[in-house]
Amino acid sequence: MVRAALTPTRRIGQAPWRFAAYVPAATVVAATLLSALPIISTSGWYPDFGFLVLIGWRLLRADPWPAWWAAPLGFVNDLFTGYPLGFSIALWSATMLALDLIDRRTMWRDYRTEWVLAAVLIATDEWLQWRVAKLLDANPPLSQMAPPLIISICVFPLCAWIVSRIDAWRLGR
Amino acid sequence: MATARPGWSRRAQYGLFFSFIAVIAGIIVGLILLTLSLVAPQQFDRVRGAALDLTAPVTGGLHEVVATAEGLFSGAGNYWDAANQNAELKRERQAMLRRMVEAKAIFQENLQLKAVLQLREHERGTIAVGRIVGSSFNSPRRFAILSAGTNDGVKIGMPVRSPDGLVGRIIDAGALASRVLLVSDRANIVPARLLRNGIPIIAQGRGDGTIDVRPLEVGRNPFKRGDIIISSGTGGLYPPLVPIGRVVKLDDDGAVALPMADPATTSFAIVEPPFEPSAVSDNTPSTPGHP
Repeated sequence: MVRAALTPTRRIGQAPWRFAAYVPAATVVAATLLSALPIISTSGWYPDFGFLVLIGWRLLRADPWPAWWAAPLGFVNDLFTGYPLGFSIALWSATMLALDLIDRRTMWRDYRTEWVLAAVLIATDEWLQWRVAKLLDANPPLSQMAPPLIISICVFPLCAWIVSRIDAWRLGR
Repeated sequence: MATARPGWSRRAQYGLFFSFIAVIAGIIVGLILLTLSLVAPQQFDRVRGAALDLTAPVTGGLHEVVATAEGLFSGAGNYWDAANQNAELKRERQAMLRRMVEAKAIFQENLQLKAVLQLREHERGTIAVGRIVGSSFNSPRRFAILSAGTNDGVKIGMPVRSPDGLVGRIIDAGALASRVLLVSDRANIVPARLLRNGIPIIAQGRGDGTIDVRPLEVGRNPFKRGDIIISSGTGGLYPPLVPIGRVVKLDDDGAVALPMADPATTSFAIVEPPFEPSAVSDNTPSTPGHP
């Protein structure tokens, strides 16, 4: 009787992975490093993978990492993608803050709400990139930002799905 | 941080408050860094160079794999209809040989004329040769990664060209790799002229892989489809007589050109010293368009 109570109830191999707490941040860095792939894009229509994975995690869970980690993660993104240094630091921290505030307001969430939220965040990202490019004497028309925006919004569900699979794996479910 | 109040625990409440402060601090630090990199970009040259070096081995290594795979396909395509191709190439070779003799004669004549004028010209050497191994993915800016860095003598501001034409100029230099501002970037303005009649024009990138070309003098649109644009050497940064692009579309007061050196298919890129070295040292601290 006593012996039965002492034996662990959980099945072997079902525990969260040992470094489970660091997996979300590591996947964001990995997504950022996709820009090191030897793909030469002359149009710049690829999505901002690091940002997509970041909001994918944050929409899936309220605490994938301590909120202030967004700043160092953004720093890594700036360094490897060639954005002006500080752009992703500020944007990613602000995203964490904005999503925290939205979390307080919303009563319920579903798949479509999250996609709309992600779309708004991606649009903000693209718009700010356009503003910063303007400040740096590269003056692209706003219409040029439409294709990458649409592609990013369409790619987001895929990113969110991959993130949810990684989440299940890291928690051993 | 999901709910307004995590409960009656003081510790949890403080934790929530401090993480809130930390995020605000993150935003402020980011904005300060962003302002610095907009106003004084050369501050971060070293950090950005180090980041380039970190990814350079991965990018360079994977590039070999991609190039080999592409080579297999295009290599197989070359055997298709080889006999006809061979005949055509032979014909072209004959024509080229004749043109080359003419060109050599013109070159000789040119040398003599320059000697008469006592025109001094800078020696145009090669600083380094590298491969274009990557590019900016999601950005209104057009950058490429070149697999040559300060170890090879590359410095910020140097022009980069390929055998086909002008590629751009160096804006970040690490020890092993460097970042190139492509001619198709909006912030890259190249003084140029039309090869056909020497009309001076300005070539500016459009950010989508093409170049916008406009004549310096307002008036009749001097462009025709198929015109070749070459650099003029004005300003001293880019060497003269390097092909930049080919006109593909006319618009109201200018035209759209495709770069001659397509970064996606350029195998080797050559870093050259600035045409007039003083141009770079004067320009670099205030170069617009530096990230």
